[in-house]
Amino acid sequence: MKHGIFLFLCCVLIFNTIFAQSSIVKIQIKHAIGDSKTICTDSIYRLNQHDSIKITTLRYYISGIELLLNNQSIWIETNSFHLIDISDSSSSFFALKLPQNTQYNQIKFNLGIDSITSNAGALGGDLDPSKGMYWSWQSGYINLKLEGKSNLCKTNNQLFQLHLGGYLYPYSAMQQIVLNTCDQMPICIVFDLEKWIQKIPLDLQHHIMSPSNNSVLISKAAAQAFRICTPCEK
Amino acid sequence: MRKVIIIALILCLTSGYAFIKSYEFTVPENWPKPVYNFNKNPPNFTAIELGRNLFYDPILSKDNTISCASCHLQYTAFTHVDHALSHGINDRIGTRNAPALMNLAWQRQFMWDGAINHLDVQALAPINHPDEMGESFDSVVFKLQKSKYYKKWFLLAFNDSNISGEHTLKAISQFMLTLVSSNSKYDSVKRHQSKFTAQEKRGYQLFKINCSSCHTEPLFSSYQFENNGLPISNELKDSGRIRITHYLQDAFKFKVPSLRNIEFSYPYMHDGRFKKLSEVLNHYTQGIQSSETLAAQLRKPMAFSANEKVDIIAFLLTLTDKTFLFNPKFGYPKKIFNTSPNK
Repeated sequence: MKHGIFLFLCCVLIFNTIFAQSSIVKIQIKHAIGDSKTICTDSIYRLNQHDSIKITTLRYYISGIELLLNNQSIWIETNSFHLIDISDSSSSFFALKLPQNTQYNQIKFNLGIDSITSNAGALGGDLDPSKGMYWSWQSGYINLKLEGKSNLCKTNNQLFQLHLGGYLYPYSAMQQIVLNTCDQMPICIVFDLEKWIQKIPLDLQHHIMSPSNNSVLISKAAAQAFRICTPCEK
Repeated sequence: MRKVIIIALILCLTSGYAFIKSYEFTVPENWPKPVYNFNKNPPNFTAIELGRNLFYDPILSKDNTISCASCHLQYTAFTHVDHALSHGINDRIGTRNAPALMNLAWQRQFMWDGAINHLDVQALAPINHPDEMGESFDSVVFKLQKSKYYKKWFLLAFNDSNISGEHTLKAISQFMLTLVSSNSKYDSVKRHQSKFTAQEKRGYQLFKINCSSCHTEPLFSSYQFENNGLPISNELKDSGRIRITHYLQDAFKFKVPSLRNIEFSYPYMHDGRFKKLSEVLNHYTQGIQSSETLAAQLRKPMAFSANEKVDIIAFLLTLTDKTFLFNPKFGYPKKIFNTSPNK
């Protein structure tokens, strides 16, 4: 009987610790080109009067999510690796579980995978190499994959294929992004693809398959195209 | 009492691992600590058998014709005997000699240029290479997921009912980690169980003076990358490690191979250009081509008399480990394949 009471108390304690004082913060990532707020893999989008683009694949990693209050880190997600894929709309929504009443006004995350994780062997979940985001000929994750078609590309069928990654100096492609959230719930983030693609010289850089300087430059441009959906009111 | 037994049974059944016998990795006497982190992939006998099954199964290739063992044959220290460059699906020829597989738990980087940074992800390279197995890894996992036979193995080995890429790779690693070669005549001399002949002794002395700084004992490799002065092949134009690091100082450097089981692992060098050990020694005495990245140890010419070369070769033959080359635990898993879904 005594043992039973003890076990019951332990369960209550564990239950409280795990479930009681936490709150869920939802995150949504929207992908936009101009006025189009959602991207379909079979639609053609105008970039300007002359040029257009069709995106067949857009997949990338968001990792190391952290919440900050006035530039001070107050919460870090453990095992924080999220593979976003525009062909799977559910991947653009995920939830953070943090202690109740956590105050924050910034979100920090990486676009891509860090070098320690890139050296850690076979991993599971979104990092499973069978997800198609791991280079086979040279170890390391593809941080960001953009594939499609554009009249800008003077290639066979006007196709382009950008696989951006690399974790070794000097071609470490992972980018850190910090956005002001103003404690908005859910946290809504826009990846402005038009802003990013305008900075990619698709006429010259239509195929990137390995770590390189261009891979780093295009990754930086991608990071600059992330913003919060509604700017904070001052 | 009955309650205790029932609770124990429930715990065993729910834990999944309860009946799986764990495997104790043994470090040979006086060897360094392995670099592989076994805590991240704790070995068990079932996963090792699963890995061995995958290693010998051509299901890993696009047209189900080539397995890992096609180019890594046990009797030749898991390299491709008689093939300077190995052939993959549709008889396509690669650009490098298949490396021997042994003592992998002591290595941090893999492939001749160190392109692979962890044993677990090594298998991805040959699976995906168009001149080797030519298959995408997600397709391999899909094929395994469709197999009722493999489903049972993964469930037993990893408590994984869905078959993940992670566990596929970890199973292959677990088998490869068991490929330890530490029972050559050299090893028994070191353990004071036998003695070198006078000729082997002379060869060992010459080896220690001239070769051991790169082919470091007891693994017989420093596992560093060096340029050993081979003339560059105009056909292959292989620049080695620089392709991975982009550093000029890494041009024409390749991973120093272990000399264990060298008697059986011919042909030699990254492109298999030498068939005999005598050709290798002749290269070091007469064939070194000078360049900016040539290994410091080779800048001063090596000189061996004909007799000294024979002595060195006599010593190198003491590195043959027949308990490794003919160990049935590493061979073709006949019993397993009798029930394989591919047959």
